[in-house]
Amino acid sequence: MDQKEFLATVLPYKDKLYRLAKRLLVSSEEAEDAVQEVLLKLWLGKDNFSNYRNPEAFAVTMTKNYCLDRLKSKQAANLKIVHSNYQNDDNLQKKIEVSDGVQLVFKIMESLPEKQRIILQLRDVEQYDFEEIAEMLDSNETTIRVTLSRARKAVRDKLIKQYNYGVS
Amino acid sequence: MELVNIEQLLEAYFEGNTTLAQERELRTFFSSSEIPPHLALYQSMFQSFDLAKEETSQRKITIFESKKRSGFWNYSIAASLLIAIGVTAYMISQPGLTSEEEEALVAFNKTKEIMFLFSENLNEGTSSIAHLDEFSKGISYLSVINQFNESKNLILK
Repeated sequence: MDQKEFLATVLPYKDKLYRLAKRLLVSSEEAEDAVQEVLLKLWLGKDNFSNYRNPEAFAVTMTKNYCLDRLKSKQAANLKIVHSNYQNDDNLQKKIEVSDGVQLVFKIMESLPEKQRIILQLRDVEQYDFEEIAEMLDSNETTIRVTLSRARKAVRDKLIKQYNYGVS
Repeated sequence: MELVNIEQLLEAYFEGNTTLAQERELRTFFSSSEIPPHLALYQSMFQSFDLAKEETSQRKITIFESKKRSGFWNYSIAASLLIAIGVTAYMISQPGLTSEEEEALVAFNKTKEIMFLFSENLNEGTSSIAHLDEFSKGISYLSVINQFNESKNLILK
């Protein structure tokens, strides 16, 4: 597999990896680093890469693991994640005027447990089917449905809380 | 789509029991502008998900060996150029000798002069020593006189 082939396989889901990394690491800078790191690993192991039944799912799994490792080492080092996403937020605001509600949902998603965040990202943002998500997370569909349900409800409940708080 | 349907779909959605197609229906419904107030809450959820998918990675992939290698060669060429420039600059800036070396040269010349003077005087000295040869010749003549004296004494006895 040469560079061109590799890029052709990887580029279609590079942004998905990036968004997942950002969902977990929050900082866009770190998310870019994570994608770079994962793609490098895939490139170095490219001989096996083509043998995988679903390379995309494999790449997602690697990204997830890499990010969770980063988060762990951060907690161990007692470091705080730096938010430096001004530029990106500007981009988003230009595309669609972001309502308060939307910003609130983003904030709530940041506060969810990692597992819920990952599944919500893969299903509701990237729209993978349950079978693929189960493969990516090395889990089964039932567990994923349960976690997903919890994540969706958590977002809804926190949203309701905020709305009521705003009203009263 | 009927509102009742949407509400049923929403219920299933929160239980994690909707298919991708059903979720797409929900998205389309909530992307329209006429949402009943009691469902406005869910609109921001689905809008957020759609919006989250708009974000893209801005960095280009730079992971390939060949790129790294060319970078390495560029660096090595730059490094050797720098060294060459450094060496020539050094040579140009140092046409003569350093101050220490100049001092040493002056001292060397002075000692050479002194040595020359010394050796000239020494030569003069040796030329005057040459007269000693004649003196020693004279002495050898004296020894002849001695013999003469001895023989004269013998005769006198």
